[in-house]
Amino acid sequence: MDALAASFPRSAVSQDESLAREFEQRLADCPKLAYRVALGVMHNTAEAEDVAQEALLRAYRNFHRLRDRDRFRGWLVRVAFRLALDRIRAKGRRERHEHDATRALEEGQREANVENLVASREFEREVAQALDALPEKLRIVMVLAAIEGYKTREVAKLAGLPEGTVKSRLFLARKKLAESLQCLVKNTPAG
Amino acid sequence: MSCEKYSSWITDAALGDLPADREPELLAHTLECAACREALHHARTVHEFVDRGVESLVVGEPSPQFATHLRRRIVQESEQLRSPWTAWAPIIAGALALAVFLAILVTRRPVHNRSNPSVASAVYPISESPAALAASAPTSQNATRTRSQRNSNRGTRVRPATTALPEIIVPKGQLAAAVQLSAAISSGRADGSQLLAAQREYEKLLEVKPIEIAPIEIPALDAATAKPASSIQF
Repeated sequence: MDALAASFPRSAVSQDESLAREFEQRLADCPKLAYRVALGVMHNTAEAEDVAQEALLRAYRNFHRLRDRDRFRGWLVRVAFRLALDRIRAKGRRERHEHDATRALEEGQREANVENLVASREFEREVAQALDALPEKLRIVMVLAAIEGYKTREVAKLAGLPEGTVKSRLFLARKKLAESLQCLVKNTPAG
Repeated sequence: MSCEKYSSWITDAALGDLPADREPELLAHTLECAACREALHHARTVHEFVDRGVESLVVGEPSPQFATHLRRRIVQESEQLRSPWTAWAPIIAGALALAVFLAILVTRRPVHNRSNPSVASAVYPISESPAALAASAPTSQNATRTRSQRNSNRGTRVRPATTALPEIIVPKGQLAAAVQLSAAISSGRADGSQLLAAQREYEKLLEVKPIEIAPIEIPALDAATAKPASSIQF
């Protein structure tokens, strides 16, 4: 992404030179964040890239109001998450996910080893389906926690929520996910 | 009974949310109870799966083309911002369409004065200049003037006292006479109030009075002096 920031023509970014420089600095790390948030919702790299680009384009338009770094990252995360949700709804992909997940469940139960299970595409699909079934407020916290290594403070900053709220939502989200995935792991020997 | 108590603790412990003062108690219980030990192990496995599964969903980097595409889109965005007409084009187009629609609507609306030419030709504002009226009376063009044209002409004169006067209806064919009368009144050659009084007098209903006929007095014939009619001499 540094290459991206360096390759931007300054006049194209903004007429204001200081704004242009700041936006280039944001572009050094923010595209990855937006992409990962979108990927956590879309589960598709091409669509996640498209959503991340749209989010960054909106950030470019509104950058004069989002110069603070933390505020910018949080805004970008929320926009990317919202755009990804809208796109999912528009395409009606949830039904397709459910169909795939049903098939994955049948195949996943045949897996004998935990490591194999985690590494399998079917398990990934099953987790994706369980994640999609979460309420939005739990889902964004869960995705951000996975991106940030489950650090409550960072998630709270990005989501714009108090740390206590993030902690309780994270607990609830993981509990729900565990309940959804329990049947998949039930007869699988550990190790 | 104690296993029920520890079941919720097991979930909290698997999620890393169990208070520190409860951990030794739970561990002591799992050492004694094989079922709870198995449950704790299973819960930790499940939550490990969950975390690793969600992490696997969000891991990755944008492709190298991401930078190129984003750069192109931002350059396009900048070009659009540089040409303000591009942004205004839809608004201007909408405004033009609305203007055309309104123009069509206005031109197609019927004019009431044209619908009744016999009345329209007879209607003139009393405030019009008599000279102008006299000059325009014989022509047929003024007979079809619309109200808006008259209003616009009226607006150019400085006659605020007469602009509020009502219009009068002149029967067709009597316009010249009405103009002459108006001119005579305006110039003082004729007294308007006198004419009006005469008109009122004329319009006053005639009183019907009974005809009084005086009776004819016939003198009584005197028999002594009566003479035969044939003997009367004139």
